[in-house]
Amino acid sequence: MYQQVGNGLLVQMICEDFAQARKVIRTYKGAVTTEISNVDTQVSSVGVDPAAVKAAERKERWLRRIPLLPALIFTIVVTQVPFVIALWISLNDWAFLTPNPIEFVGLDNFTSIPDNGRFVDSIINTFWITFGTAFFSTVIATGLAIALDKKFIGQSVVRTLLITPFLTMPVAASLIWRNSILDVRFGFVNFLLTSLGFDAFETSSSPLFTVLVFSIWQWTPFLMLILLAGLQSQPPSVLEAARVDGASNSAIFFQITLPHLRPYLELGALLSSIFLIQTFDAVDQLAGGAIGAQNIPFFVHQRAIGGAFQFGEASAFGVVVVIASIILATFSLRVLSGLLDGDDL
Amino acid sequence: MRVGLIPPRINFEGEILVRNTPKRKPALLKLLGLFAALAMIAAACGGAEELADTAADAAGDAADAAADVVDGDEEEEAMEDEEEEAMEDEEEEAMEDEEEPAEAAPSFDGQEITVAVVNNGATDSIQRFTPDFFTADTGLQVNFLELPEQELRERVTLAAGTGSAEFDAFMIGPFEAPQFGGVNGWIQDLTPLAEADDDYNLGDLLDPIRGALSLNGELYGVPFYGESSFVMFNQEIMDAAGIDFPAAPTWDEIAEIAEAVDTDDVAGICLRGLAGWGDLGASLTTVVNTFGGTWWEANADGTPGEAQINQPDSGFRAATEFYVDLVQNFGEDDAANSSFPQCLELMQSGGAAMWYDATVAAGFLENEGLTGNLGVALAPTGPAELPAGWLWTWSFAIPENAPNTAAAWEFISWATSEEYINIVGENDGFAAAPPGSRVSTYENPDYIAASESFGQTTLEQIQIAMPESPGTTPRPGLPGVQYVGIPEFQDIGTRCTQEISAAIAGQQSVDAALDNCQAIASEVSQ
Repeated sequence: MYQQVGNGLLVQMICEDFAQARKVIRTYKGAVTTEISNVDTQVSSVGVDPAAVKAAERKERWLRRIPLLPALIFTIVVTQVPFVIALWISLNDWAFLTPNPIEFVGLDNFTSIPDNGRFVDSIINTFWITFGTAFFSTVIATGLAIALDKKFIGQSVVRTLLITPFLTMPVAASLIWRNSILDVRFGFVNFLLTSLGFDAFETSSSPLFTVLVFSIWQWTPFLMLILLAGLQSQPPSVLEAARVDGASNSAIFFQITLPHLRPYLELGALLSSIFLIQTFDAVDQLAGGAIGAQNIPFFVHQRAIGGAFQFGEASAFGVVVVIASIILATFSLRVLSGLLDGDDL
Repeated sequence: MRVGLIPPRINFEGEILVRNTPKRKPALLKLLGLFAALAMIAAACGGAEELADTAADAAGDAADAAADVVDGDEEEEAMEDEEEEAMEDEEEEAMEDEEEPAEAAPSFDGQEITVAVVNNGATDSIQRFTPDFFTADTGLQVNFLELPEQELRERVTLAAGTGSAEFDAFMIGPFEAPQFGGVNGWIQDLTPLAEADDDYNLGDLLDPIRGALSLNGELYGVPFYGESSFVMFNQEIMDAAGIDFPAAPTWDEIAEIAEAVDTDDVAGICLRGLAGWGDLGASLTTVVNTFGGTWWEANADGTPGEAQINQPDSGFRAATEFYVDLVQNFGEDDAANSSFPQCLELMQSGGAAMWYDATVAAGFLENEGLTGNLGVALAPTGPAELPAGWLWTWSFAIPENAPNTAAAWEFISWATSEEYINIVGENDGFAAAPPGSRVSTYENPDYIAASESFGQTTLEQIQIAMPESPGTTPRPGLPGVQYVGIPEFQDIGTRCTQEISAAIAGQQSVDAALDNCQAIASEVSQ
């Protein structure tokens, strides 16, 4: 069953049988260790001095690392080098639009961050967009996943349709929402509202709400997929036993299904939060950058190429955001690795 | 955490069940695994992404920009020399062209250029006509990159400022032309090229438009079309309401008319409310000017002084209160999301009775929607009784590092020529011909006939615009009517109009918007 150590191992590590995966790893490790010790024994039996043995070991270790180097170098070049450059730029006053020379200003760009009245608002908006969407998407996705877990005619069609929002390009979806769905004159929603005698919905009067609704629409399918996977791994025998014992449907849901789904809920909420913190398309295209919806990515974009061309200032904002993201990501990854560390039961 | 991704049943029912796993489950879980892997990558890169963009651009071009900037003063002197040399070279090339006019055209055979243009009706036309009327004659292939205004500005500013050879020519306006050309040295002085080209007829360009694209007599862009702003109205609606529309209205009169014709289905007036220095910022600033207001006081050296936005008696406050009131009471729905395209559609479909916007729109309305039913009047004036129309032109510029200047000039000189105006006129009707760039347009009998309802008012409005002194007080920076000619204005203007746009949407009070705007504008006060 586990012939292919490479591919199979990865898949199993992430989602299936950890005990088995570990066994495979152990066997592999064992083989390698045995081999190394064989080499060691051979070497020492020939009577070479210990320094040479160490050198050989070091060489061996590097040989094993070499295949990883291209990926490592690539990662450093595309993520770490730009970051270091951004760090440097953030210490300078660089007004790109003027012929003024780039000037070293130390931490001025950082100390002036609180002066920008809208930065705090953008943090608050980022919070709402990220956690508001993650929360409501999770709630809706739980309902949809439970509905989809039952067998019914056309199930696969419904499932495909439900996943569609997640497969649509965010920019395209934002523009369609803005122009075909929510436009005050041609939008479908406003056509419905006005023909039913309600006032038309104006996106400009509730930009944050609009972005939230859009993001929930977009992220629910992703969470639904994760939760559906969770539900389908639930043993039917347990549910059966509960039913035989006379548990009500709500008791089954809250006391058996929900606890079973907990790791999936945590995983889904964390992953979607990580994506949602970078939301830009909906804020820029759907809400038109209205101040009520401006989040941190939009804010940094506006300080950089979105009009200000103040690269020093924009980099300073960016650095602050990266530090915040690292804190969040560290926290998330710790929880995630906790989730993946499940075979200590 | 002890609970794992492993389904719990494995733990209490052993491995047997695992083998019985339904076939589709691994597929779903593999998908999940894929997402997890993607998320890890995203988490690792996280916020660094936007930074990477900025920084990569910045890094790639840091050297060039630094070199540009460091040279600074020296460069200006050096540039003059270079330009003289360049001028001679170009004149020689031009001379060669002149010697064999018939052969000049095919000399671009097999060559191609890339041109960035703004996306609007006029640039749609040029993309349509270029293959048959330009490439067929010259052999020069023109690749268009069509972008919305905001994206165009981002791309063009980066390309010009970093000295990239991405574009052979691009579209800019009078806000950018003198700054990019005369001050920053990013784009070429086109005067020598235009003067050497006998066919171009440089003297035919409208003076105010040419002036707006020049600094110290050097021309940094050639106008594709030019515009001011005025009021367009639906004659039928006005007749039905018994309104005799004044030829030179005041804003108070406009507000009265808007109130009189406003109904549930028809907006009394369409005004720009979309945030952006070139959207709401343009309309509002012309109102501010004629209300006697200004964004900043000007210091003696031309730098911006104290911001004049939220003082109780400032013209800016009076104008903003008037504007927000007018558009909230008698304006279009969702005004804070509306700008030129939305208002154009509304006027064409009869959803608005009048519209204060760019003069170029009159041609579109005459062509479609309001044919024979269009009335226009001069830009409304306020308490300061100043001519209030703005001055703008979408024009072509050639970057300093253009890979093929001769080919770029060949194209942009054709695109801004009388010949091109006639091509559009003959194919699409003269009402759709690019207006406001050349004197000859307004002497062309075909154009005069087609533009009867708006042509002369447009010309008059362009000619009375006062970019040097658009208000009651001196302005900081370079000349400009609906903007302030300092590079920081596009940032300040956009952020301030975001505040005012939010006031139009009812998200905050005008007072709060003005206070925030005062703080934003004060960032550049010296």
